[in-house]
Amino acid sequence: MSAPVLTEQAVPPVAPAVARRSWFAYLRQPSAALSVLVLVVMVALALLAPVIADEPAGAGPDVLQPPSGAHWFGTDDLGQDIFAQVVWGTRTSLVIGLAASLIAIVLGTAIGLASAYFRPIDAVATVVTDVMLALPTLPLMIMLAAVVNPSLWTLTLIIGFFAWPEVARLIRSQGLVISAMPYIDGARVLGASGWRIVTREILPAVVSLVIVSVLLTASRAVISEAGLSFLGLGDPDAWSWGRILLNAQRSGVVAIAWWQTLFPSLAILLLVLAATVAGMRFNDTRDPRRNGA
Amino acid sequence: MRKTVKGRWRLAVALGVAATLGISGCSLNEDTGSSTTSTDGSVLRIGTTTDVSNFNPLQSLSKTDSWILNAMYPHLLRIDENAKKAPELAKEYRYEDGGKTAVFVLRDDFTWTDGKPVVADDVKFSAEMIMKYKLGNVAAKLTWVESIEAPDATTVKFKLSQPYAPFAEGVGFWMSIVPKHVFESAGDLSKFPNDSNWVGAGPFVLDSITKGQRYVMKRNPNYPLAPGGKAAVSQVEYRVYPDVNTMMLALRNGDIDLMGTPVPVSAVKTFQADSNIKLVKVGALGFAHLTYNMKNKQLADQQVRQALSMSVDTKSIISSVLQGDGQQMAGPISPIFSEYDNTEIQPYPFDPAGAKAKLSAAGYKDANNDGFFDELAFGVACDQSNANITRVVQLFRESAAKAGIKLENECVERNTFLSRTKNGEYDIDASQWGVFDNPMDQLRSTYLSSNPGGINYNLLESPEMDHLINDAAATTDPEAFKAKIKNIDKVVHDQAYLTPLYVENFQFAYNASKFTGFVPSPSDLLGMVTAYSLAQVTPAK
Repeated sequence: MSAPVLTEQAVPPVAPAVARRSWFAYLRQPSAALSVLVLVVMVALALLAPVIADEPAGAGPDVLQPPSGAHWFGTDDLGQDIFAQVVWGTRTSLVIGLAASLIAIVLGTAIGLASAYFRPIDAVATVVTDVMLALPTLPLMIMLAAVVNPSLWTLTLIIGFFAWPEVARLIRSQGLVISAMPYIDGARVLGASGWRIVTREILPAVVSLVIVSVLLTASRAVISEAGLSFLGLGDPDAWSWGRILLNAQRSGVVAIAWWQTLFPSLAILLLVLAATVAGMRFNDTRDPRRNGA
Repeated sequence: MRKTVKGRWRLAVALGVAATLGISGCSLNEDTGSSTTSTDGSVLRIGTTTDVSNFNPLQSLSKTDSWILNAMYPHLLRIDENAKKAPELAKEYRYEDGGKTAVFVLRDDFTWTDGKPVVADDVKFSAEMIMKYKLGNVAAKLTWVESIEAPDATTVKFKLSQPYAPFAEGVGFWMSIVPKHVFESAGDLSKFPNDSNWVGAGPFVLDSITKGQRYVMKRNPNYPLAPGGKAAVSQVEYRVYPDVNTMMLALRNGDIDLMGTPVPVSAVKTFQADSNIKLVKVGALGFAHLTYNMKNKQLADQQVRQALSMSVDTKSIISSVLQGDGQQMAGPISPIFSEYDNTEIQPYPFDPAGAKAKLSAAGYKDANNDGFFDELAFGVACDQSNANITRVVQLFRESAAKAGIKLENECVERNTFLSRTKNGEYDIDASQWGVFDNPMDQLRSTYLSSNPGGINYNLLESPEMDHLINDAAATTDPEAFKAKIKNIDKVVHDQAYLTPLYVENFQFAYNASKFTGFVPSPSDLLGMVTAYSLAQVTPAK
């Protein structure tokens, strides 16, 4: 590493004023605004679920009714309202998606930054990350979920634990670029500790990448949750989109009750698409090549 | 050189054509191999959900295993349309020596597919091997056998240590008869895979298998129970469809002719518009139940078990989950055994408030005022692949909450559930008993502390129950025997060791424009695919 050149500017690459402007620019893009809107609606649905619809319970006389004014999304083979199931499922999907992605982000960012700055850790962490990335995640998740008692928490932990390596790799590559920058050398010369450099100098520079990762990891976690629930490995007491699909498949009504599979699938599609587009657009607005900044 | 290139082209074109034909012909079954045989009217194609996991008919079998093996290996008795025992390989049976000797008289016209006749020695050999290696569930039914004699080719005598009334029925129905001259050379039969060169004496014998896809069975040219001395159908093919939705579509598309597994009650509408597809309804030989683990301190309390029984709305479960297509039960004896079912006892009424009052009276408290009794929280274990039971658990959890009992839904993946059941790792077991062929065997395997059948899910160890059951088992007078069974029915009901949920009806769907003549038997294990039924099937027109 070259000796620090004191005449060079040693400021972090992102200034606060730019940040506010880029948020505005971000929301001015129709696709970004739309996807953020979808996400906001989803969060509202999850928070207000008890107000919007009663928690699906019991059995009703209207079995397998197609969508109508009384049952917007139709009913299932117990006569329960699919709309209520989808709304309550939003809670589970969002909670698991966010919690799992938080686990993945915390683990991934910590490991990524540590290996970007501390050389000895890098050797080990990279190998571990590579091994984790090479593992077939779905079969492993299925195995784990089958062994432990299925609940929201175990599912979140399992999904979160298998999602960190991608984040770690992303953060590490960005962290490597940052830690080679002159202002980091400057900080080191000024006597800053490794901990301070990582948390105060490198972390702020990769924060936008972390936000993008949160969105992308959360959307992957939502898919994982739906997949595991569909396979019958979800929390049997919590409504989730995967469980609605599982109910349809298990009771053999896939061919005659299209509404029971269509609406939860659409919900999954919308949420995942919105999170992905929002993340990608956010990434674009922070991209210096695109902004010319 | 030129020729090879041309040949290769031809092969490629042929493969392409075959693939296209295959895809259009049977798009739902991945194998495209036998699109020609599919159009042959006398090939009966049956859908099943799982592969065969064990080809040894003497061992414990899954559903698909027993369908295929029961068509190959005869049994002494079968269960007919009315749930009664009917002769199969045995013409008749009787007891001698005050009930201590069971005598089976065999037919003399059964032959193995390698030409040898089926003789009494084969029966003797099969039973002795089961006893020697403790194979399958039949081993428990042979407990009392001291010796077996085959005085001539058509007579088998089982000498018993004590009279046991349902001995002949239980062994006759459950035990597969295997060819001695083939199995003898296999050595240790607990390790014998029997997965090739099959020799059978049923109407059909396995010919080839493609794991995950199909099991092809060829007709046995000599099967005396078929109308013409052999089955009218020349070949039976089991095809594997892990998903029931796909299987139903396959039946509608004409890729299969019969669904071996029952049609889920919610999906019956699928076939409403199709005039070719007929549905046949049969009863059950088992029932769905909630069984309480007596090793749990709270569940060992009779009051708690009774309160739980009062928190299950079986009537509404039958009308919603089964769409009304089922029967309520009171005690552990199914109404299908009308002679033994104690009609004096009534199911516990659905009364969550009464259950709550009962528990309060018994001293259970809700100190933290969360609406639930502090000590009463149980997990309900079930197999999540069973659509009906998972629904039941969902409804049970909601109704028990009204009685102040907190239940946790522990419906898990099938293999996890089975291993938990085996190890007693559950509070309440919600499951379905498949086939009980007689009430005495049922009570023995579900309540004896020695647990001979391995399905004492209560983990009950009660000297009183042991005494009642053993006493009934040794009773030879039919009337006294019935009275004793009815008494046990009542005791189990009073104790609320289990809450019986329902006896359901099963519906089977087949393509009536292609095949007719099925003779359905009760239960989803027997259904349309017993050896006898398959031997009676004829192609339509």
